[in-house]
Amino acid sequence: MDWRDRHFWVVVLAGLALGTLGVLLSVWGNPANSGICVSCFIENSAGALGLHNNTRMQYLRPELIGFLLGALASAVIGREFRARGGSAPLLRLVAGIFLIVGCSVFIGCPIKLLLRLSAGDLTAVAGVAGLVCGVWLGVKGAVKGVELGPQQVERTGNGLVMPFLFLLLLAFLIIRPDFINFSTNGGGTEAAPWLWALASGLLLGALAQRSQFCITGSIRDIFLVGRRSYLHWGLGTFVLSALALNIATGRMHLGMYGQPGAHLEHLWSFLGMALVGWISVLIGGCPFRQVVKAGEGNTDAGLVVVGMFIGGAVTQSWGIAATAAGVSLYGKVAVLAGLAFVLGVSLLFRQREE
Amino acid sequence: MGPMKNDYFDKILWLLLGSVLAALAFLLWQGQHREGALAKGGSRAMERELTNQARLMLLQKLYGPVEELRRKGELQSALLKLDELSSQYPGEAHGYILQGEILQQMGVFDAALASYVAGIRLNGAYVDRRSTLSQREALDRLVAEGERSIVPQAKANPDNRTLAKALANLNYLKSRLAGGCE
Repeated sequence: MDWRDRHFWVVVLAGLALGTLGVLLSVWGNPANSGICVSCFIENSAGALGLHNNTRMQYLRPELIGFLLGALASAVIGREFRARGGSAPLLRLVAGIFLIVGCSVFIGCPIKLLLRLSAGDLTAVAGVAGLVCGVWLGVKGAVKGVELGPQQVERTGNGLVMPFLFLLLLAFLIIRPDFINFSTNGGGTEAAPWLWALASGLLLGALAQRSQFCITGSIRDIFLVGRRSYLHWGLGTFVLSALALNIATGRMHLGMYGQPGAHLEHLWSFLGMALVGWISVLIGGCPFRQVVKAGEGNTDAGLVVVGMFIGGAVTQSWGIAATAAGVSLYGKVAVLAGLAFVLGVSLLFRQREE
Repeated sequence: MGPMKNDYFDKILWLLLGSVLAALAFLLWQGQHREGALAKGGSRAMERELTNQARLMLLQKLYGPVEELRRKGELQSALLKLDELSSQYPGEAHGYILQGEILQQMGVFDAALASYVAGIRLNGAYVDRRSTLSQREALDRLVAEGERSIVPQAKANPDNRTLAKALANLNYLKSRLAGGCE
């Protein structure tokens, strides 16, 4: 590790900002332990766009818009904005749907997984084990030749489609036209002031773009290159800062029972996060990283984001998403279908030695 | 291939794009002025508020007789009336919440918990702070009572299925009261 390397400090700063704002956004009004949760934000935003009918989960989350636009700004300033794509695009869209399936069965994305754990939610331990296991399986697959194919450079306009759509979402958030839904009760009404949320999202998007920080990427790098990568420092800083702030703000409730937005079906928490970890390695990043990459002009990641919105809609409309009462039959079926999908992809996309 | 200069065709495209954007801005400005509140989502909010109020009034009308019997202390009759209503309106959360309140009053704690849980699973508004239907305070008391009575009993009798079910219901309520994403 080189302490003088600027990139190391950017990674640490990204982890620190993610942990700090992850807790602070909850303090400012977001649901408990959900200061930052990309899958929850996507489910809320899909509801706001009228893609599902759960009236308690409808809000255009400013943080989500900020992640992508912050990444765009940072990529443009750093001259890293490059339109590229064309690596199994349709498959990535389906992968995006299953990413949200896995998250909704666990109740949260990998960032929320660690926020839940740092707030003392011991039910998240099964999710951590599942995520690590899923990433490990993904890494094993990559080493054995599973890859979705190379990307090509595309025309700049292609890379600008997702930023344009998210700018449109920002306009909808500000103007609030009649066709956009906003919950009047339930989790969709629990929100930090929108300007603070947007500013936090922009900052985190920019830092994540500069650092390339991602939860599953950090775990993947530990398996692949050990301590030579800096990402695990970001991961450590994230968990420690969230833990410290949770204790400082009285949000630390160590235990297994009665945790906010959690259930006790540990096997399904494990499998849900295993699915997320495995898919994330296959497509090159967790849900958060996909949003950031879409802001950098990566159209493949853009399609994953579109898939995640479809996933957000179907998990809510079809009763796939888990609740505090547990995981529904549809949720269990969807996770197993997701695992069948990722196994099928691994078989079909494996480059075998002659 | 070097950067191309804007030719005639580009200029026409730019001109058309500018015209379309100007027309779009005019249309939005006009719509804002004509429909005012509509464009700001006012009608949707009003619609929801009216639905909520209508629902509240309907619940008061439907379950008024049950409340009346409860006030008089005729708890068994109130439960019978609730049974009658639940066959007419199956899946209505309010009936389960009232049943929970009555059973709690009668001291049948585990059955009260099960009723509350059934109601909240049907309609989460009963745990919302801002909802007109909110029962948070009563639920907080119920959970505190459960912590005192059910938890030690369940620990002492780990094979008792009734206690295990009551404990699961208690944990569900605790989790819902703690908040988080749904």
